[in-house]
Amino acid sequence: MDVLDQLGAVKEGKMSRRAFTRSLMAAGVGMATVPLSKMAHASDGDQATYFTWGGYDIPELFGEYQTKNGALPNFAIFGASEEALTKMRGGFVVDVSHPCNQAVPRWAATGLFQSVDVSRLAHGADIIPELTQLEGNQDGDNLWMVPFDWGSTSITYRTDLVELDGEESWDMLWDERYSGRLGSLGAGADAWWVGAIKAGISFDNIDSDEAFEKIAEIMRAQRPHIRVYTDDTTSLEQALASGELVAAMTWNSSAVTLAAEGVPVKFANPKEGALTWVCGLMIHKDAPNVDRAYDVIDSLLSVESGKFMVNDYGYGHSNKNTFDHFDEETLVGLGLSKNPTDILGSGHFQKPQTQEWESKMNALFEQIKAGF
Amino acid sequence: MADATANDAPPGEDRTQTKRSWKARFNQSDTLKGFSLLSPTLFVLIIGIIIPFGILITISLWTAVGFGFDTSLTLNNYQTAAEQPLYGALLSRSLMVSGWATVATVVLSYPMAYYVAFHVHRNKMMWIVLMTLPFWTSYLLRVFAWKVVLGYEGVINSALMGLGLIEAPLEFLLYSTDAVIITLAHAWAAFAILPMYVSLEKIDKSLLEAATDLGDGPVARFLRITLPLSMPGIISACLLIFIPTTGDYITPALLGGPDGLMIGNLIQLQFGPVNNWPMGATLAIILMLTIAAIALVFLVLTKLVKDRLT
Repeated sequence: MDVLDQLGAVKEGKMSRRAFTRSLMAAGVGMATVPLSKMAHASDGDQATYFTWGGYDIPELFGEYQTKNGALPNFAIFGASEEALTKMRGGFVVDVSHPCNQAVPRWAATGLFQSVDVSRLAHGADIIPELTQLEGNQDGDNLWMVPFDWGSTSITYRTDLVELDGEESWDMLWDERYSGRLGSLGAGADAWWVGAIKAGISFDNIDSDEAFEKIAEIMRAQRPHIRVYTDDTTSLEQALASGELVAAMTWNSSAVTLAAEGVPVKFANPKEGALTWVCGLMIHKDAPNVDRAYDVIDSLLSVESGKFMVNDYGYGHSNKNTFDHFDEETLVGLGLSKNPTDILGSGHFQKPQTQEWESKMNALFEQIKAGF
Repeated sequence: MADATANDAPPGEDRTQTKRSWKARFNQSDTLKGFSLLSPTLFVLIIGIIIPFGILITISLWTAVGFGFDTSLTLNNYQTAAEQPLYGALLSRSLMVSGWATVATVVLSYPMAYYVAFHVHRNKMMWIVLMTLPFWTSYLLRVFAWKVVLGYEGVINSALMGLGLIEAPLEFLLYSTDAVIITLAHAWAAFAILPMYVSLEKIDKSLLEAATDLGDGPVARFLRITLPLSMPGIISACLLIFIPTTGDYITPALLGGPDGLMIGNLIQLQFGPVNNWPMGATLAIILMLTIAAIALVFLVLTKLVKDRLT
């Protein structure tokens, strides 16, 4: 019945006000639930949702998934993995998420994830075992994180603008000569650990009060020289390309991307050692598409994805067969090796820390970034 | 309401009888009518404001422990907020930034509102729509656009270098407090133009004619008639810009650099990486109270202006 007819009916006394209100309410509820019903409808043929860093949301990594499921997975993007965890703790449900190894025990402790059954993965047998066995990834029979990519955090610098003072060193990011033209990743998960390397603190003791003080002092000394702290790697890359920044703390991919565009940059191999990391994939305990979650992981573990990761991002890959497609020289040029333990062992590898440590570190680092 | 209870059930009736008559009474009462009129508003108010605000206050009285909370109520967070210089400094910086952004927006928008109100005679609606056109796109995109405009190799720097006015790009444009103020001033302009346009439009043009007849020049006419009469619009424009910009965090996060952080960023950080929701809630409440206090000042100002005008 049309609303005007109804109004007329009410006026003439043919329809009770209550009946009118009821139909109005029905219309209202209908309107309000349209998006819900649409969502419910859309979800039955839906793709898995992959919650990841910007740059991993690209078709090149999902060839296998696309062939199998006819479309790309849905992507949700985070800027820093702690932000992702917060969002999921707030009720955001995804199928697969992409944290790094040092965060895994804390992530698993939230009870938001299910352990992964490697036998369900087509490429499960090809995973480099050393990466799976890293501290934190496994607990008892549970495998929480399937390793996917690994690499290092170091300094990408403009070879034409930076005059090296001896060897490559983390000192470059504290160099007064380039004050205001240095950049840094914004998350403590990288920057604070680099501070520890610069302060000469072993990662075994990074949780002591003394370590906090020393690192804070180092980070405060750096802050006036930093033009921008950001986890938006595109901003850092653009700033390096334009010469706005002469050096910045980045992951491997920034250097590889910039070099591919002809910008004269080099990814430093600091004498104190780089910061090394392994990231991977975790499945949400309420994942609506568990089968497709495994498809996402399989697709990322495939050799095709691995070739792209090594070639275009300069990251290591967890599928051992990937490296058969590259010669030793190429790998060394990218700062990689067929044996990830060589690389991970030569740098400083992050160790899982408690949630209290993480909160304290982040709070302190945010204060320092704000100038206190 | 007293009338509705007139045919009350006599005492001693059985329970069902009493219940029915109570129901009958309630159904006829003005109270019900009042509530049924109010209820949608009340419902929205409760669901949208009162409950969330209650939750926020409760969380601000808790303490963060790892991933969880210690739910015993304490004012420790407020004490920390008062004691640590960081919070006060960022709050005052936020007030300063949005204060300047408000001034800049109002000063830049006033001529536009004035022009449309007094000098556009046909298609006024089209002009208004044109002024709101930039706001049809996302706020985030507008902020990014400013990043491009102000950037090291951005529009302004390339133009100035192309003209030979500067040799090296100006570095203070991006990643600074100035960048935040400039962006906010543009991003919120529509909220200044519209209320000011409305109050300018309402001005009785015969007053201006009378002033001309009495020998006032354009400047005197503007200062003695147009400006005072448009004051209510200016004040509401100030409110509309000041309140949302104080808590803004996207603009400072993208354009502010290390020195441009505002209290909104700190709140976001507490809820995000720092994982201290109680502290975030505390800061949010402090921000709200500060803004409420300032809004109160504006409201008093509006009243004073209105009293003077009538």
